[in-house]
Amino acid sequence: MKISVNWLKEFVDVTSDPRQLKSDLTMIGLNTESCAPVGDDWVLDVEVTTNRPDCLSHYGVARELATLYRQPLQRVEVFLKESGEPTSAAATVEIADPDLCARYCGRIVQKVQVGPSPDWLVKRLEAIGQRSINNVADATNYVLMELGHPLHAFDLFRLRQHKIIVRRANPGEPLRTLDGVDRTLTRDSLVIADGERPVALAGVMGGEESEISSRTGSVLLESAWFEPVSVRRTAKSQGMHTEASHRFERGADLEMAPLALDRAADLIQKVAGGEILRKMIDVYPRPESRKDLLLRRSEIARILGTEVAWEEVERILCGLGFQTERQGTEGWRVSPPSFRLDVSREIDLIEEVARHVGYDRLPARVRPAPPRVERDITREKIMAVSSLLVGLGYHEIIAPAMVDPAENQRFADCAPVMLANPLSQDASAMRSSAVPSMLRAIRWNLDRDLRDVKFCEFGKTYSLTTEGTPEERRVLTLGATGHRRPASVHDSEKVVDFFDLKGDLGTMFAPFDLPKLDFEPSSCPYYEEGCCGRLTSQGIALAVFGQPRQDLAREYKLRQAVWVAEIDLEHLLNFSLRPRQFRPFSKFPAVERDFSLVVPDGVPYARLAAAVAGLDLEEIRRHRPVDRFRGGAIAAQHHGLLLRVTFQSQTHTLTSEEVGGLSQRLLAVLEPLGVRLRG
Amino acid sequence: MRPSRTQTLAMTIDEKVRKTLAELGVTDAAGVEALFGEVRAAMEQERSSLVSHGASSEAERDRLSKSLRDRWLARQNGLLANIDERWLKTSPKELKPSVGKSFNGLRQAAAALEMDALVKGVGLKIPTKVAAVDAAEIRGAGLRDLTLPGYCRPLGSLHPVTQMQREIEQIFLNLGFRIEDGPEIESVYYNFDALNIPESHPSRDDWDTLYINAQTVLRTHTSPVQIRAMEKYGAPLYIIIPGKCYRHDNPDASHTPMFHQIEGLAIDSDITFADLKGTLDFFAKKLFGEKIHTRFQPSFFPFTEPSGEVAISCIFCGGEGCRVCKESGWIEVMGCGMVHPQVLHNGGIDPEKYSGWAFGLGVDRYAMMKYDINDIQLLFQSDVRFLEQF
Repeated sequence: MKISVNWLKEFVDVTSDPRQLKSDLTMIGLNTESCAPVGDDWVLDVEVTTNRPDCLSHYGVARELATLYRQPLQRVEVFLKESGEPTSAAATVEIADPDLCARYCGRIVQKVQVGPSPDWLVKRLEAIGQRSINNVADATNYVLMELGHPLHAFDLFRLRQHKIIVRRANPGEPLRTLDGVDRTLTRDSLVIADGERPVALAGVMGGEESEISSRTGSVLLESAWFEPVSVRRTAKSQGMHTEASHRFERGADLEMAPLALDRAADLIQKVAGGEILRKMIDVYPRPESRKDLLLRRSEIARILGTEVAWEEVERILCGLGFQTERQGTEGWRVSPPSFRLDVSREIDLIEEVARHVGYDRLPARVRPAPPRVERDITREKIMAVSSLLVGLGYHEIIAPAMVDPAENQRFADCAPVMLANPLSQDASAMRSSAVPSMLRAIRWNLDRDLRDVKFCEFGKTYSLTTEGTPEERRVLTLGATGHRRPASVHDSEKVVDFFDLKGDLGTMFAPFDLPKLDFEPSSCPYYEEGCCGRLTSQGIALAVFGQPRQDLAREYKLRQAVWVAEIDLEHLLNFSLRPRQFRPFSKFPAVERDFSLVVPDGVPYARLAAAVAGLDLEEIRRHRPVDRFRGGAIAAQHHGLLLRVTFQSQTHTLTSEEVGGLSQRLLAVLEPLGVRLRG
Repeated sequence: MRPSRTQTLAMTIDEKVRKTLAELGVTDAAGVEALFGEVRAAMEQERSSLVSHGASSEAERDRLSKSLRDRWLARQNGLLANIDERWLKTSPKELKPSVGKSFNGLRQAAAALEMDALVKGVGLKIPTKVAAVDAAEIRGAGLRDLTLPGYCRPLGSLHPVTQMQREIEQIFLNLGFRIEDGPEIESVYYNFDALNIPESHPSRDDWDTLYINAQTVLRTHTSPVQIRAMEKYGAPLYIIIPGKCYRHDNPDASHTPMFHQIEGLAIDSDITFADLKGTLDFFAKKLFGEKIHTRFQPSFFPFTEPSGEVAISCIFCGGEGCRVCKESGWIEVMGCGMVHPQVLHNGGIDPEKYSGWAFGLGVDRYAMMKYDINDIQLLFQSDVRFLEQF
């Protein structure tokens, strides 16, 4: 809300310079973004939080400043020149739905001269960003900005039967509002109707037909109090937000209604002439009395950490319009003013005290939590995995969770969680797979000629369970493409392939206490057939990885081989970290032997390895394939495999004979697979 | 004593060439042929193993080839020299022709060994590059250049938001706080109602919400975990809650629909506003440097009362006023406040017995501020040129 400093000065003696004023307002909770000179005035841009509708006016802000600067606040007093018949003789007001309208005050100003406003009025409104319309509209607008109470001026002769009825709209009733929009009303909307039809959306906007025009002779001024929730609902359902609805939905001041009305009538008379009829109409079916609150001194100390002097509390609360009455040594009985609907509990009063004591003047102390001993194991696991991935060259990315449902559907067969009000169609579903986001991330880089990319993403996938409740799963996604390392004088470039990913996964799982890590070739609808694998432990799937299918790769414009792995973190994090335990290593020398084997093509390495492992010989410490080749002396449909085996005993130096024996057993167990030593 | 066949098999070539044919139990021409076959196989295997092992430079290739050649062909103690000595010279007359013939064959094969190794395998990897580096060999030739870059394996990186998050977490972990987690798809009850933000109040408009349906939203802040944690653990409670949040914000240089927040919550029997001020001041100084000042100003959040905003003296201009702090000298860094008694009550904690403070901050903004990132979109573009800087 824009606040004019000159205007403020009508109510409180502000002597500090505008910059200081800006800072002072901020420090009592009226965050002031800027202060700018406008002519001979300064205008402050004050951000008023939703709980403080009373500060959506110059008078409200002046009240805060008067309390802060310990200055008196000028009272608003109006001395009207009334004449003619009583208002109630010229018009009638009926509240048909008193649950939505607690009070309705009305006055009539006859024989007004609608025309341009005088300069001072135009200037004042324009300084705070309001456009001048005509003298009558400007007067109501002026009172709105001054006292914060929304008013409406009707052309009295456009109101059929000179009647005002405040009621719920009948379904389908039409109303063209001041903004020229034809609206169809629903039962939820509260309207001001005349004898026949709605003439205004209560608390939101007037109707075009009863608008003040140059031909208007008599004005009916409305100053009412509408129920906040109803105004909010009406405005929302019509997609409207006005100065009036902004204030009513936050809670206007019931007691301000008659005063604002008199102030506006007086002002209209001053700028547009006319006669104010005697005695306002004031329909106030059930005057509300607000509950007094108890404010305990002990509670102030318990919350703020310091005692506040009796007089200081009273000064602050009274300055802000509260009435206080001491209750022995305990504290006060406090009556909140009608304009402070936000104050309904003791804690609200404590906040008022804190604000005006000044947060900067309240004490401070550092408060650590009591000592605790439990460890955050999940965090340790995530930290272990992420540091390994960084060491392996992966850059962590954070990908959007909201995706295009059509794209999502190609990577997951579960029902996605859909957004009811998405920002756009291509961000209208919560992703059920993290693969497309990874492909998009890689594509972004390939499109920019950044071709060596290794990414990891710790994120979630979202789906609906069969019962229709949303479910979130933690997933880790890896993506790799390009070269393993940049070319250098020391080494040639190598292109990342399936086995890089397989190896990285193995390394990544190393910190976990997996009883066994099994690999099997697998298939998956979006990975290339024969380029997809799965890692499991005890039947629990930990990772699926592969190369995206060619047609997908084309679609994502992946011009080079890309490899993607999905790791199920929910499963992985269930495994504990590998306990550290030392096992004594052998003191005796190890013997390394290479076996040049001929292997039928149908026998995968895993079967060889399983057979060797099946021997369960302690002396076969290690075995790994070190070369694989074809052709030469190797028969067709066979390949050569050089298997490097390390023999070592825990108890003695192996003799040649023992190594020979072990070699024989090793060859023997491979024989049934058709694997034989190269001749 | 004649060794068994198995024993013979288990002997390495090096062991065998030190024995005579008789000691090896070879007594006929077929035995000789088999023995020499074994030797050739071993030679072939060593060659192929060398080939498969490969070399990273011409120098290494030469060195490997040389060692293979020396092993087999050296006049002194080479394998062939040993075979000549032990097998041929000492062989019984009747076997001499066949041993001689086999030995010649072996020699020819061995002569080709060097060539073979060079051409067929080793060295094909980098045929053109001049490279480092065998100290002894190259030092003399003057090719050794220690100023060449080291052999490096490129490191990855953690996302700047993750790094920022961990830094913040660590400060609170040091203070004894625990990390708590909660769902991103959240009920309206936890996201709003339980936090004292009724549907009917305009304060709900302060959060531009993405809805799944009337009862379910993408959480607009990490605050719902406050209630969940209160229900789960009761008081006392000292936690921080990092996580993703979502708002109906169109993306621009300072907004993304998805962002990261860290929420803090401390509830105990004697917590006051002083603890909030002191602890958050401590935190800000640990994160932004001991020189900064903090400023607490009143604000409004439905779930705290009294509510506040924390500003720090501008870390760019030191409070003089600059573009970043909009000439104010202050940068707002978080919202905070004393937990509203209604919220404690909603979480099952007696507000007359316990009090608490809470804060919420935007991790993305912190990362941007600390790492001098000018556009929030950069955080989520996954551009490797951006990521590798962290």
